[in-house]
Amino acid sequence: MTVFLQSLISGILIGGVYALIGIGLTIIFGVMRVINFAHGDIMMIGMYLTYNLFTLAGIDPFVSILVTIPLMFLFGGFLQKLFINRVLGALPQNQILLTIGLGLIMSNTMMLIYTSDYKIISTSYSSSSISVAGISVSEPLAISFIITAAITAMLYWFLIKTDTGQAIRATAQDREAAQLMGINVKRMSIIAFGLGASLAGTAGALISPTYYIFPQIGSTFTLKAFVITVLGGMGSIVGATLGGVVIGIAESVSAVYISSGWKDVVVFVLFLLVLLFKPSGLMGKSRM
Amino acid sequence: MRTFRTPCANNNGFSTVAAVTALLILVALFLFPRFVESPYTLHIMILFFLSTIMGGSWNILGGYTGQYSVGHAAYFGAGAYTTMILMQYKQVPPWYGIWGGIAIVVVVALFIGSICFRLRGPYFVLASIAVAEIMRLTAMNLKDLTNGAEGILATEIPPFTMGGTVITDFLTKVPFYYIGLVLAILTIIVTWLVQNSKLGYCFQAIREDQDAAHSLGINLTIYKNIALIISAVFTSLAGSFYAVYIGFIDPPTVLALDISVQIVLICIIGGIGTIYGPVVGSLVLVPLSEALRSNLIAQAIFKTGMVSEESGIGVFLKDHLAHAHALIYGILVVIVILFMPDGVLGFIKKLTAKKAVTGDRLTVTE
Repeated sequence: MTVFLQSLISGILIGGVYALIGIGLTIIFGVMRVINFAHGDIMMIGMYLTYNLFTLAGIDPFVSILVTIPLMFLFGGFLQKLFINRVLGALPQNQILLTIGLGLIMSNTMMLIYTSDYKIISTSYSSSSISVAGISVSEPLAISFIITAAITAMLYWFLIKTDTGQAIRATAQDREAAQLMGINVKRMSIIAFGLGASLAGTAGALISPTYYIFPQIGSTFTLKAFVITVLGGMGSIVGATLGGVVIGIAESVSAVYISSGWKDVVVFVLFLLVLLFKPSGLMGKSRM
Repeated sequence: MRTFRTPCANNNGFSTVAAVTALLILVALFLFPRFVESPYTLHIMILFFLSTIMGGSWNILGGYTGQYSVGHAAYFGAGAYTTMILMQYKQVPPWYGIWGGIAIVVVVALFIGSICFRLRGPYFVLASIAVAEIMRLTAMNLKDLTNGAEGILATEIPPFTMGGTVITDFLTKVPFYYIGLVLAILTIIVTWLVQNSKLGYCFQAIREDQDAAHSLGINLTIYKNIALIISAVFTSLAGSFYAVYIGFIDPPTVLALDISVQIVLICIIGGIGTIYGPVVGSLVLVPLSEALRSNLIAQAIFKTGMVSEESGIGVFLKDHLAHAHALIYGILVVIVILFMPDGVLGFIKKLTAKKAVTGDRLTVTE
C-alpha cells in the first residue's frame, strides 16, 4: 500500500509539471487551431536557459523562472509573428510540418551550441527528499509542484478575470465573432503563443533539477503534451490540467508495477484508446 | 493552396523528348558503376535511391490519398528488423528475409490502419506517431528478440546464388547500387500506375474530399487500407535494404520519429502528390545533408575566407557542424512551407506558368 501511495503521489507531483506543458499546448491550439509540434523543443530551450542562468550566474533553477517566464513569452510571440501567423489559413498538415521544422531548427541549433552531451544541474536539494507519514517525496518535485499550482491558479485568474484573458477566450471560441466585437485577434494570437511558450519554458525550468538536459529531449515531451491535451480534450484548460495529472499517475504507477521501460508504452496505448473511444477527451466540447 | 487536379488533366501520353531523356538517364544510371569506382560516390547514389524509395512510398499514402502519416518509421523499422533478425539469428538470406518483412509489415499496416483510419486530420497524424512510438519502445524493451538499445550488427551477408552459380557476394557497393536503382525505378513505376489507374482516381478523390468520395460510392476504409499497404510494403523494402546495406540497426536509427519526419520531408520538399516529387526532394536533401555530415560546408566556408579555419568560430564549425546535419531539414521545411507550399516542383511549375502567361500577353499587345 505504501508503495502504491508513494507512486501515486510522485505521479501527481510530476503530473503537475506535465499539466503546465499541456496547458500551454492547449491554449495555442484553442486560439489558433494550430497543433504546435515544437512544444517540447520550446520546453527544451527553457531548460537550457535555466542551465545557463545556473552555471553562468549561479541563479537557482526555481528562482530563474522569474527570468524564464518573460523571455520565453517574448520568444513565443516572436515565433507567432514571424512564422505561425503566415500559415493560419493553410492546410493543417502544412501547419504541423512548419512547427516540426521549427522544432528541428531549435534542437539542432542547441546541439550546435551545446553538443549532444547530457547536462545536469546539481543543486543541494537535487536528490534530497521529504518524508511525510512514511511516504518520501522528492524535494525538487514537491517545490516544482507548488510553483506549478501557483502558476496555474494565476493563469486561471488571468483568463477568467482580466479583459485580455476574456478576449483570448473569446478568440478561442469564435475567431470571426471576436474580431467583429472589436478584439484585436492578431494580438491575442501573439499573446496566446507567448503564453504557451512561457508555460512550456517554465515547465522546462521546473524539471531541470531532476532531468538530464540534452537537445533531443523535446520530442518526448511534445508527444507527452499531445497525449495530455487529447486526453483532456483539445482546447480545454481544465482538461489539460486533469490530463497532466492522469498521465503523471499512469506513468509512475506503471513504472512501479510493470517496468520503467514499458511505462511510455502504457501512456501511448492509453492515448490510442482515448482517440478511439472518446476523441473529444475527458472535458470535450467545453473550450477553455 | 493546393491546385485542384482532375483525373482527366493528367498527361498520359509521353512526349518523345521526355521519353528519350528518361531513357538516356536510365542508361546512364545503369552504366554509372562501370565508370565511377569511388565507393563514396556510389554510397551517395545508394542513399539517393533509398531516399527516393522512402519518399515515393510515403507519397502514395500521403500525396495521393491525403493521409498524412508521420509514423512511417513503423514500417521502415519493421522491415529492417524482420530482415535483420532472420538473417542474423536464423541464417535466412536477406532476399528471402524481405518477404518475411513484407508479410509482417502488411499485418502491422492493417492493424495500424484499423486504428488510425477512424480518425481524421490532426488526430490521424497524432495516432500514426503514437503507433510508431509504441513500436520503437517495444523494440527497445523486447531485448530477447531485438537486442534492445544495443541494436543488431550483421556479421556477414550470405552470397547471392542462383542454381549453384554465385551472382554476387555483396563485397562491394555495386550490387547494392543496382538493387537500390531497381527498387527506386519500381517505386516510380508503381506511383505512375497509381496516378493513372482507377485505383489512383479513388485515392485522389479521397484526398480532395473524403465525404464527397464516400457519397460517390468509394469505400473509404478499403481504399485507404490499399494505399497504406502499397505504401507500407515499399517502405518495408527500403527498411530491409537499409538494414542489409548499412549492416547495423538500432531503434533510434530505424524506428525513431526523426525517420518518419525525414520521409515526409522528402516529399514536401520535392512536391507532394507528384511522380517525380520524391526524386527532386532526394536530389535536394541527400547531397545537402551529406555535405554537412562530411564537413564539406565548413570547408566551403573556410574557402570563401569569411571565417579562418584556425579562428575560434572556425574550430567550432569544424567540430560541430557535422553533428547538426538535421538542421538543414528544419531550415528547408520552414522555407518550403512558407514560400513554396507545393514543393520545389510546384514552385518551378508556377514560375514557368507565370512566364508563359506574360509571354502570351506580350504577343497580344504586339
